[in-house]
Amino acid sequence: MASRTTVPFGPQHPVLPEPIQLRITYEDEKVVDVMPVIGYGHRGIEKACELHEYAKNIYVCERVCGICSYQHSTSVVEVMEQLWPVEITPRIKYLRTIWAEMCRTHSHLLWLGLLADAFGFESMFYQFWRIREKVLDILEMTTGHRVIQSVNIVGGVRRDIDADQKKIIIDTLELVRKESEDLVKVVINDYTVKARTVGVGVITKEQAISLGCVGPTLRASGVSEDARLTKYDAYGELNYEPIVETAGDCYARAVVRARELFQAIDLQIEALNKMPEGEIAVKVKGNPPANEAVMRTEAPRGELYYYAKGNGTRILERLKIRTPTFANLPSVLILLPGCQLADVPVNVLSIDPCISCTER
Amino acid sequence: MENIKEIKKGELITEGKKFLDAGGKFVTAVCNDLNTQLEVTYFFSINRGVEIKGLRYIVAKDEEVPSLSATTLSTVLIENEMKELFGLKVKDIAIDFGGHMLLAEDSPVTPMLKTKKDALKGEK
Repeated sequence: MASRTTVPFGPQHPVLPEPIQLRITYEDEKVVDVMPVIGYGHRGIEKACELHEYAKNIYVCERVCGICSYQHSTSVVEVMEQLWPVEITPRIKYLRTIWAEMCRTHSHLLWLGLLADAFGFESMFYQFWRIREKVLDILEMTTGHRVIQSVNIVGGVRRDIDADQKKIIIDTLELVRKESEDLVKVVINDYTVKARTVGVGVITKEQAISLGCVGPTLRASGVSEDARLTKYDAYGELNYEPIVETAGDCYARAVVRARELFQAIDLQIEALNKMPEGEIAVKVKGNPPANEAVMRTEAPRGELYYYAKGNGTRILERLKIRTPTFANLPSVLILLPGCQLADVPVNVLSIDPCISCTER
Repeated sequence: MENIKEIKKGELITEGKKFLDAGGKFVTAVCNDLNTQLEVTYFFSINRGVEIKGLRYIVAKDEEVPSLSATTLSTVLIENEMKELFGLKVKDIAIDFGGHMLLAEDSPVTPMLKTKKDALKGEK
């Protein structure tokens, strides 16, 4: 019988831009056990939100993550809007939807670049990230910021999108679509990518549900579940259906994200064309009432879950954040055992882990 | 809040299993400090995630409570988190990090519990 060895994968590892450790036990080259270890950079953001007045929570929560910052910002303002409740105008809903899908676009481009890099396709990595810059440019043009947009407030948004900007956005998105199509075809059809991902890291439909997976990780296992089905913001008025693959392997997770990239572009263009006129902010008076509410939004990595409890003061009694990676992390317990040691980075990357979100 | 059912702590596993057996999915659990007690709510999504239902129990801070992790492994991280940050005495978690999933040896103990100082900040 081969001897077993336990090695630390991370917290500093080339495939992990953020600190997490996987204690991997392997026998020959085969992984037999894994234990995820987190807590290297926990920031106590939920506690911070119980110490400051509610409006400041927006600035705190949009810093949970640098990639899905906008979804955190939307979630925290919308969970607080439900406490009163505040009725926002349709234009606000459309604006929030457009920016959310912009963030999904750049997040999936970022991930596709990382996937290419993991296979040694460095030029392709540069190309995906070059395209991503165009999306960051339109985010900067419309919100004023590239990473942390800081455009949401309780009761609305700070900025509007005018007709000139609309044209620039649509032109840019068409260019992003065209350039991405060429690159995605290479990734999805490449022999090396298929050899390393097809049939690797399979999560069955039953396992995905049982482990509480969310987002592309869940939908790649044949589960048609997405927070956008709750029709928050403008999603109820857009042509939207979740993108689902059934194989449940690393390849399926890549295909879901690739298809979602183009779907996000379609949703932005549709929302821009349908966006009604109206106010971009409504007045909100007083403190959050003694009430509790839940808000779920679909971040690029999956469902983002916010729970808020007010007590009638300007400070919330409790704010709970369940991030997508926190939900997807248990899946490594079944993804890794049985795989080859060389497949660990691709398997880990396939759930698009965001440790910044996990260590909120 | 709508869709939250009040239960006794001993009913968590049987009631939670009902959601899971019906195709539901565990979403998260939320712990609230009620001064002398802890309020724990387990949230489940059903109907393609469109609906959310909750199970809620309230216990004294020194009471032991059951874990749902033997039924669904998805509760492991959040149950460890509640144990560390709130001091919720969850017993028999499928993977128990022994109080050090998030907290180090020299970290503050149960940092999410409210202190008198926190309460004063919330005054109108």
